[in-house]
Amino acid sequence: MSEKLVVKPFTGLEKEALICGRCGYCRSACPVYNVVGWESAAPRGKIAMAKEIFSYGSRAGLPAEFVRRMAQCTLCGACAGECSTAIDTRKMWLELRKRIVDLGQEPQAYRAMRDNLLARKNISTFPNEDRLEWAQDLDDPDALEPRAGAEVGYFVGCVSSFFPQAAQIPLAIAEIFTEAGVDFTTMGGEEWCCGFPLISTGFVDDSRTFIRHNVDKIKELGIHTLVASCASCYHVWKNDSREALQGYNLEILHTTEYLACLIREGRIPMHELAETVTYHDPCDLGRNGGIYETPREIIRGIPGVRFVELPHHREQALCCGGGGNLQSVDADLAAEIARLRTEEIRAVGATVVVSACQQCEQMLTAAVRKAKLPVRVMDVSQLILEAMG
Amino acid sequence: MKNEALEQIKQRFGDRATDSPFECGLYSRDMAPVPALLVNPLFNTLPDLIVRPTDAGEAAEILKLAFANHIPVTPRAGASTVYFNSVPVQGGIVMDLNLIKGVAGLDASAMTVTVKAGTTWLELDQYLNPLGYATKSFPSSAPAASIGGWFSMMGYGIGSLKYGNLLSQVRAVEAVLPTGEIRRLTRDTEPPLTWFAASEGTLGIITWLELEIRKSTLMKHFLIAFPDAGKMGRALEAVIHARPVPYNVHFADDRYALAMRSLGFSPADAAAAHTLGIDYEGSEEELRQAQDKVTSLVGADSAIRLFPAEITQREWEEKFNALRLKRGGPSVLGSEIWLPIKALPGYLSDIRKMAGRYGLDLISYGHGVTPDRATVMTLFHADETGTFGYVLDLSLVKKIHDVGRRHGGCPYGVGLWNTPYLGRIFTPPQLNELRRRKRILDSRGIMNPGKVYRSPFILNPFSFAAGMEVLAAVRRVAGRSGRR
Repeated sequence: MSEKLVVKPFTGLEKEALICGRCGYCRSACPVYNVVGWESAAPRGKIAMAKEIFSYGSRAGLPAEFVRRMAQCTLCGACAGECSTAIDTRKMWLELRKRIVDLGQEPQAYRAMRDNLLARKNISTFPNEDRLEWAQDLDDPDALEPRAGAEVGYFVGCVSSFFPQAAQIPLAIAEIFTEAGVDFTTMGGEEWCCGFPLISTGFVDDSRTFIRHNVDKIKELGIHTLVASCASCYHVWKNDSREALQGYNLEILHTTEYLACLIREGRIPMHELAETVTYHDPCDLGRNGGIYETPREIIRGIPGVRFVELPHHREQALCCGGGGNLQSVDADLAAEIARLRTEEIRAVGATVVVSACQQCEQMLTAAVRKAKLPVRVMDVSQLILEAMG
Repeated sequence: MKNEALEQIKQRFGDRATDSPFECGLYSRDMAPVPALLVNPLFNTLPDLIVRPTDAGEAAEILKLAFANHIPVTPRAGASTVYFNSVPVQGGIVMDLNLIKGVAGLDASAMTVTVKAGTTWLELDQYLNPLGYATKSFPSSAPAASIGGWFSMMGYGIGSLKYGNLLSQVRAVEAVLPTGEIRRLTRDTEPPLTWFAASEGTLGIITWLELEIRKSTLMKHFLIAFPDAGKMGRALEAVIHARPVPYNVHFADDRYALAMRSLGFSPADAAAAHTLGIDYEGSEEELRQAQDKVTSLVGADSAIRLFPAEITQREWEEKFNALRLKRGGPSVLGSEIWLPIKALPGYLSDIRKMAGRYGLDLISYGHGVTPDRATVMTLFHADETGTFGYVLDLSLVKKIHDVGRRHGGCPYGVGLWNTPYLGRIFTPPQLNELRRRKRILDSRGIMNPGKVYRSPFILNPFSFAAGMEVLAAVRRVAGRSGRR
């Protein structure tokens, strides 16, 4: 395939909505449309309404149905890849959610999430000081307290920090890093939410405070390599923190990139694993982050593993349903999108489905359990740890 | 009675039926942004009810009730056309066929696939390709166009040059007639399946089709730059009539190349030339012959240039994305012409003259789809937010059709907006035959009324032509500067 030449300048909501040709290429790719089925749930339907409301200004106020449909989006970005007029639709959805917030018509669930974040600095109901609670399972949890001058800063993320079912991921990463002799630290209770939930629900201004705080703490610790295990945190650090990071030298890596490096350097010895493994591309890491190969390189590099691709993979990967804060407003829709992904997992006969995003892993774990599939869902780091024996 | 029937359908289909004005509004348009100012006083494009059946049985239930109660029914799937082909003009029911989707069976020995009508062409190829098969042809809107939708249109596109139009590849269809009767139709049944091709959903609902397929083969693509339309046209004719027959040929004028370059979709050093893309598929031997043919075509003429492989490959990968031109708009207006290939240079020359007269940047591109005919899209940028100027610009669409007519062409497809040109599209005997079929199958005229067979009063050829001429004259005198 030749290099894509497509440029996608986002010229503003009003103009981009007019540019949409309503061709409908976006529909088949949209996980929400594929479940809901109504034109208003399709990206072109949403843009048609946005055109009427914002480009023409022909409606007073926002129809409640429009607000509801705008919240029914996982921000997976699949529509952007299909758009025949090269509209950066993901930017459009973010801008529309921001407009909805500006007009004070955001869903109640968004408002509650924002209030909680402003109060606690994380998406859970726990105090932020408890960020390293998961580390109590390690031999020396205190070793993870913030330490200036460490070679690597591990940005754990809210889900891994506070949700018990995701705690195995930071534990795996900490163990691997320790085994590989990586000089690493965390931000401990000074790590705040990366800001992604605020950006994705339209509270962009609030997100800046969180981004600025995290950047300041990284600078204080003198960290110059940051590794994030959450695809969304990684996305924010890579894309939305640029302004705050200006003039500061910080290499930002997803754990898959860093772990692949360690494996290449021979610092992670792995034994044979007799598993059929497939990989689910997280939208924020793959389609929206451009990282497809390193997770596959890691999986393929484990002796004994038979790697199989899902029917939709890489740029065409189906969303797990967990993005865009969809769960907070329509959990059933999110679960149904995840169910569609489990059908593909079933079809390839995998014994393990690996991903690289805590949210994807949560969604897929629930979905395979519901579908009664004999499949384990793991993070790449957990698979590596298992191979390390 | 009508309201009771609609309510009955609504109750029966539960969350697969809606009369929400919010939802219905989105089904009252296709790709064409025709201002409400023009549409609303003349047509009722707002459905009373939208319903999403999952199979022929459910479609039949709806049609029986609609037929009994004289309720118009408009079928819709991808809605990726611009002539209101799938937009209601008398309200009624819109039947959204997107749930009738998937492959029902592949017969490798017969080399056919049975596919449900709401499946898109891209989805069908994504099913076939891993199995080593491919569709014989597909529309240039394959990511959105449904199998049934393209059959209901004229069905010429990519691959038609080698394998014929879609009708020639269809062995059988399942159709739900307006009365609700479900029929399996072939060429030998009464009615034959041929009646339904290009009928634009006016004779019933197609729910599945049995299509011929081909083995996936290697492909080779070429893209050639020409200094003028004449040389390009001659090369196009030569390559179409030579062996091996190309799978697809597509062409574009220099304005297309310039527009794509200025929008960042082609390399900055790409020539502002007339281009001819030639795509072959077949055995290695056929592809070798194709290479020789193209090499001899380019020959020693230094004014003709073969593009490098990378650009040629990109051109093929971008085959569904001509709409990228819209970024220069925000709107585009234009016409698709069914044109004799030998007339292409003359047509492009007259289009250039028209562009000069009206201060327009007219962009043309298209496909050779038979040995003698091409589909040519000629369009220009417009701005739908300025209603008065946009309405004036709309009159120029007819002017493009008039250029096409002078060169033996006619509109490609009818729908609503091309009904003023019925006399150009069909001969009187052809039109009478179509009307006879309509009377036989849909005596109450419930299926997609207002389309194909006769123009509504307001669009009758005489008043339409007069109105458009006046607007075009104003447009010309006003001298609204184009976007040259």
